[in-house]
Formats: sequence, structure tokens, C-alpha cells
Amino acid sequence: MPLRAMQRDGRLLGAFADAERRHYLGLVDGAIRDVQLSRDGQSMAAEFPMLAIDEREMVEQYGISLDGLPKDLVVEGRGLTTFVVGPVHAGIIEPGRFTFHSGGESIVHLEAQFGFSHRGVESFLEGRDAVASAWHVARICGGCSVARSWSYARVLESFHALAIDEASEFARMICAELERAYNHIFDLGVAAAGAGYGFGLTRALELKERFARINARAFGHRYLFDAVLPGGIRAESLNDRRALRSDLRALRDDVEKFAEQLFGHHELMSRFSRAGVLPYETAVAFGAVGPALRASGGTFDVRCDASYGRYAQISPIRATAHDGDVASRVRVKYDELRESMRLIDVAFDELGDRPIPLPQHVRAIAGDGSAMTEGPRGAEILSLRTDQQGRVQRLHVISASYRNWPLVTRAMEGNIVPDFPLVNKSFNLCYACGDR
Amino acid sequence: MPGKPFDVSLGIRHLVCGSCNGCEHEVNALGAPQYDSTQYGYDIVASPRHADVLTVTGPMTEAMRDPALATRDAMAEPRIVVAVGDCAIGTGAWCNAGSAGAGAGGELDAEVHVPGCPPTPDAIIRGLHEAARLLDLRAGRKR
Ligand code: SF4
Repeated sequence: MPLRAMQRDGRLLGAFADAERRHYLGLVDGAIRDVQLSRDGQSMAAEFPMLAIDEREMVEQYGISLDGLPKDLVVEGRGLTTFVVGPVHAGIIEPGRFTFHSGGESIVHLEAQFGFSHRGVESFLEGRDAVASAWHVARICGGCSVARSWSYARVLESFHALAIDEASEFARMICAELERAYNHIFDLGVAAAGAGYGFGLTRALELKERFARINARAFGHRYLFDAVLPGGIRAESLNDRRALRSDLRALRDDVEKFAEQLFGHHELMSRFSRAGVLPYETAVAFGAVGPALRASGGTFDVRCDASYGRYAQISPIRATAHDGDVASRVRVKYDELRESMRLIDVAFDELGDRPIPLPQHVRAIAGDGSAMTEGPRGAEILSLRTDQQGRVQRLHVISASYRNWPLVTRAMEGNIVPDFPLVNKSFNLCYACGDR
Repeated sequence: MPGKPFDVSLGIRHLVCGSCNGCEHEVNALGAPQYDSTQYGYDIVASPRHADVLTVTGPMTEAMRDPALATRDAMAEPRIVVAVGDCAIGTGAWCNAGSAGAGAGGELDAEVHVPGCPPTPDAIIRGLHEAARLLDLRAGRKR
């Protein structure tokens, strides 16, 4: 299937290379398709601009040569000021380098340079047992660990055509929605902080901490690492469901009170509105995913459009907004957070008193496949190919942050320099899963 | 551990050297009211020039090595480096991966090591107490 047809009938997801060829992933009719092209050849990025970063990575890491790969923009002009920030920043954040080209206060063009967190995780795992690598996969990025672990588990399970029991699936859903919830509450706080509203951050940190403690009680880790495993879920501590649910209800009520303060704050909302507008067309052209897409009028949500686990049975209500500004992204995240709390509640109802079995034994065998999970920032895609002994031959991660970063720079164009923290934090993307 | 609240003040600069972000969750949590590290006089500052303590996370990546050394060397003496998390102390998931080092702590001569993946905020605060104690020794102060 040519890429153009894939984009027309479905959506392009991203691309990567291995020693032999290039792989272009797309979603068609709810399934991930892998279109393979020869190692060297024509760049696809000229036609599909979202692929420019994927193809540049192929060139850098696999020495592939591509004709027509778009070059970096050279920005020059009278009256333009250029300044560089990073990789060391002032906050408790990851390293990236931003080059601002501004005319007066307005940003004409912003370049983001990444790779400071590049550890070489994909090549590090090559040759290792694929099942044992789940522990490492959970640690590629701490902000979307559950979503990535779930994608990884589903790929390994697909090699065996292994079915996961209903109780474990509901527990996985609770776990994944808790991950979304703790991320989104933090994102509301940092967006507020980006506009100088310190109270918002402090209150969000208080609520996030309560999520972290619930996570630890339910799944044994404050940020849910190693909960979703190949073959099931480690939820042996999901026993005291009554107490957990009542704490979650109290937490939900406090989240709502916090949101009333936030959204009722007139000055804050006026700072949020019309800042960092990401137009729908740009979002689509660059393959935006997650809340970044849905705040610009898109609808795609992996849970609804390429359903997995029990999401077909308890389907999430999509959160959308249309202005594409900071206010829209914050609103979408809050609506999703509330929806996560509802999904958790329904999943607990469905679960009832059923015990959650220990994970089934999964042996690493030969296979090739991809899976996609809706993480807090959007589609978390993972491709894996293993050899006859079940060792990793090629593992590739396409994270939601990787897809969305080019959009942050575009959303900044025409905005004032001091609004960068605000606009950036309204996306609040990770670096670790993009840099890998 | 320092005795009375506010009898010590530490300016802390935090540096990510290839962390997965998990450790940053917990450093951020120091600002949550449940922990509030400012009650001990510990505050995150914006520049290494303002800092007494450098907290570092991650195995160290090739791309961060020079900026990390420059950041540490920009700090005034006496200064102290605290390695936060298993990756930074050399036992974590990504130590010695292809483009990673054996721990940011080792490379930056950390004197305090806080294990955990990630360490809890309480553990990080204990590490900061230890850093405060070592800085006092270095400055010849008694408490
Ligand atoms: S110690 Fe654990 S949480 Fe911290 S950076 Fe390493 S893998 Fe992530």
C-alpha cells in the first residue's frame, strides 16, 4: 500500500529504519500496517512533512541516504535577534536546546534541538531476551511508562496469540487511566505556573502526590512502573478496593474544586486564551496526537479508534476543543482527567470482587509486530522484531512527545518570547521517550 | 539532620543527565505541600551560580557531559553534588547503554548517593540533609 493511500484511508504514524530497509507505519481500519521501502531512496518527508524528523533519525543513526529530505530552515533578516536557551534550564525539567529568532518581542521562528537525553536505549536492548526487556521498556520514559509497557506487552502477547482475562484487562485500564490522571493534574499546575500563578502549581502538586500514593497502594509503584507486564498485570495489592475507591472519590472532588478555582480565575484564563494557537491544518499535517490534536479540533484517540483491552466495552467520551490555544489544551486535559476518573469507577464496578490473577507466563519467541496505546500525551507506538531465540532484533519507539514536539515550535510563531514557558507547558511533552 | 527549621539554607540546582523523568517526578514532589522542602530552607534555584548543591539524575549521556561539567564548575565553592536515583548512582536501567555513561553521580564526583528508581521524596530530603551536613563540615561550622 502506498503511503498516500495509507494517509487517505487511515493515518500515518511514523517511520524508522533497520539494517535492511525503511518501515513506514500507518493505521488502517484499526490495525497498524508496515509499508517497507528500500534502505536508500526517495525521502517521503517532502510529501508528508511529519516524517522529516523520522527520516533525519534514519540518516543519523543508520547512515541511510535519502533524496529530497527537506533541509533545516535558515532564518536571516534585518532586525532579527537570535538567542539560544538550553540544554540546562532553570526549572526541574529535561534538557533541550531552543533557538529563538525574534523580531522585537515576537517570535518569528523557533527551533528545538533534542538528543541530550539520548541513551541509545533501542540498540542497548538488541540481543537481549525480549520478555526480560520489559523492565527496561518501563524505564524508557517515566511519564508514559504504563502506556509503553502496555504496548510492549500487547506485541509480545500477539506473538503467542495470548488472550488476557477480563479482570486483568480492567485492572490494566485502571492503571492506564491513573497514569493519565496524575499526568494531567500536573499539566494543569505547570500551565498555571507558566502564567505566573504559583498557587496553581502548589495545589496541583498536592493532588498529584495523592495520586502517587494511590498508585503505590494499588499497583506497587508511585508512577506505576512494572505494573503492566507481558501476560497480565501486577496488581496483587489491588485488594482493598473499597478504601481505594473512597480515596479516589475524595480526590476527584478536590480535583473538581481546584478546577473551579483555575477556570474561574479570570486573569489566568485571559492569559490562556489565544496564546500558542495551533491551527487544525498544521496539527494534522504534522501528525499531532493526543490532547495536542484534540484541542485543535481533531478527534483521534487510540482508545476509541484502534481499541484495545476493554475500551470497546467501556468507551471513553472524547474530549475536544477547537481553538487550539493554551486554554483549549488545558480544557481538554481537564475533561480527560474527569473522564479518566469515570472510567476508573466503571472499571472497578465491572471488576467487582473478582481476584486479579498473577500474570501468565510469556516466553520470548520469534515475532514481528507493533502496538499502540493512548498515553497521557497521545499514541505511544512500539515496534518489535525478535529472532528465533526470542531476542530483540529491532525495537523502535515512536512516542507521542516525538510526534508533537515540532508542533510546539509552530504554535510559538507570532507569540511573544515571555509566553514560551506558558505555551510549552500547555503541551508539557517529555524528552526521554523522544530522545531514547 | 539539621535541628531547628531554617537553621540552614541550601540553594539547589537540578540537572537532568539522561534520566527517564521518573526521578524528576520526585524532585518536583519536594515542592508539594506534603513534603515542602522549603521548611528546611532547601530551595530550587534557577542558576548554578546561586546553588550550593547540584542534584543530578540519569546515567549521563554523551550530549550532556560537557554542559553538565560546565554547570557544576559554574558553582561557587564549597559545593556538593548529590546523585539522585539508581541511574545516577550507577546501578540503574540505562547505565552503560550505547550513548550513556556509568552514572552522572560518578562523573560529577557526587558525594551523596540516594538510591531508588525513583527514590522517594523522603529519601531525597535525607540526601539533602546529608549534603547540608557535609557542607557545614567543609565550612568548619558546627551545629
Ligand atoms: S533511577 Fe529509575 S526513575 Fe530515575 S532516571 Fe533511572 S530509570 Fe528513571
